[in-house]
Amino acid sequence: MKMTDLRQNRRAGLINFLRGIQKAGMPIENLGDSDRLVASGLIDSLAILQIVMYLEQTYGINFSANGFDPEQLGSIGNILDLIERECP
Amino acid sequence: MLLDLNVGNITEPVSGRRWDQAEIRSQTALRIGRLRKLGIAQKDRVFLAFGNRLEFFSELLAIWSLGGCAIPIDSRLTSFEVENLVNAASPELAVIDDETPQEIISMLTAAGVKVVATSDTGSDAVTVNSIHLDNDALILFTSGSTGDPKGVVHTHRSLRARWMSLRDHLGVEAFRRTLCMLPTHFGHGLICNSLFPWLSGNDLYITQPFRPDLVMKLGSLIDEHGITFMSSVPAIWKLALRLAKPPQSGTLQRVHCGSAPLSSHMWDDIRKWTGTQNVCNAYGITETGSWVAGLSVADVPAVDGLIGQGWGSVIRVLNTNDTFQSIGPDNICGPGESGYVWLNTPALMKGYFNRDDLTAKAVSDGWFMTGDIGFIDETGRLVLRGRERDEINKGGMKVFPSDIDAVVERFGRTKDVCTFALDDPIYGQNVGIAIVLEDTSDDTVRALYSWMKSHLAESKMPVRWWMIDAIPRTSRGKINRDAVKAACQELQPLDMPSILGKGA
Repeated sequence: MKMTDLRQNRRAGLINFLRGIQKAGMPIENLGDSDRLVASGLIDSLAILQIVMYLEQTYGINFSANGFDPEQLGSIGNILDLIERECP
Repeated sequence: MLLDLNVGNITEPVSGRRWDQAEIRSQTALRIGRLRKLGIAQKDRVFLAFGNRLEFFSELLAIWSLGGCAIPIDSRLTSFEVENLVNAASPELAVIDDETPQEIISMLTAAGVKVVATSDTGSDAVTVNSIHLDNDALILFTSGSTGDPKGVVHTHRSLRARWMSLRDHLGVEAFRRTLCMLPTHFGHGLICNSLFPWLSGNDLYITQPFRPDLVMKLGSLIDEHGITFMSSVPAIWKLALRLAKPPQSGTLQRVHCGSAPLSSHMWDDIRKWTGTQNVCNAYGITETGSWVAGLSVADVPAVDGLIGQGWGSVIRVLNTNDTFQSIGPDNICGPGESGYVWLNTPALMKGYFNRDDLTAKAVSDGWFMTGDIGFIDETGRLVLRGRERDEINKGGMKVFPSDIDAVVERFGRTKDVCTFALDDPIYGQNVGIAIVLEDTSDDTVRALYSWMKSHLAESKMPVRWWMIDAIPRTSRGKINRDAVKAACQELQPLDMPSILGKGA
């Protein structure tokens, strides 16, 4: 699979997951890849933990072993970059 | 103790700002001068519309020094909710900060409440101490922000009773450098996590509440400032245990977790992470000045629901929750027998503000009926098993379904409504809602959502919505929120992002 297709697939999966935990009033379709997930009002700040659990379960990323920088999960684009780094 | 307001230093670890004792005295003297000039006197009530920063504590001392009563309010409330509290409490003045929304300021002004910015200290330093033990010191509104507000009134006497009890049972040494990451508008964060250590002369480190970026750096925060004590809630620990590197310096001497049930599994994990065995489940209720029971020496095996002994309180487990019935020996449950938890403590609130009817329902002959279910074990320790209070415990912060129902009921096209607790992987519980509308068109749902957003703080907004034909009721016509929740979970919730997105 081409890298761009793989990223698109991962993006679709991530959007689907975010749709399940997002707050009601923010259409995720309106969000760009660099928009801030918490600052935009899409998710609650503590929902970062749910994203972590999603990435651990879906991609096997081990945050407790690798440490954690909140910026890595700040936007859809940052999350996709993280997945690419951890699961090339 | 405490009558001379012998404060410690305060630091904001994030901004790096720090006020030592001399600076706090100086800042407080300026604020006393300013408040006096604004006419604040004995028994006047003052809103503190912000919190978790140095100025909050200085304002609090200034209000108290003039004999006034402070009312810290949640800065996330909507202007509708704040106006409701204004109508209930009739404050003389509101102190705001640079983050208070203009909408709130305009509403306060329109309601005839004087408004002053905390940064506007004036230049007249005044030293005075007009504290009378039986004057109202604090009113903490715990529910009814949209309807009939329920404000817990503590006098200086009841607060001092709480702090002196804690000092007797826990000492102050472990609290030498205390970290507070909890909001200062509720009992746990304010009375016990902040004021008890600070007014005992210990150093307080205060952050904005519930900031995940700070929680993720918790270990380094503890190391950098040599934190000896902190308290928190399970939702915060879920985040810290998973994402924050543990502290390395071994400075923590004592850790409390409260405001929500603590599982034995998480209890053990917190011990490992913090490096101290001295971790306990602190049982606290705003009405009793928060921490009212726990383990003085917490080095015991973790047990689900284990609290421990009373801290300046007598605990009884009774087979009744009726505060209008006289209590006799027949009402006392034996060891291991579950019943309703009642507390007797000199730190008990004076009552609910202007609501003697509610006070009478909660207090009988000095005994407070908590609404919690538990038992006393063979060694005399309290173990909690559940609660019968009509509230949603969202990560330690209480959300009252009736507050949300009251707003939805006022929406013109609502026929019926029931708000209930949903299980939540992060918060423990979150807000779900079942609504019966006159018409269920997307336009109506969007109008309802907009109505609720303008009346309810963000933290109270439901995360799952169900539109149903009728709210199930008991044979007596009452709503059983658990039954409504069970009925809803058989159905598909509304796709709110999609509905709201179409209207964008």
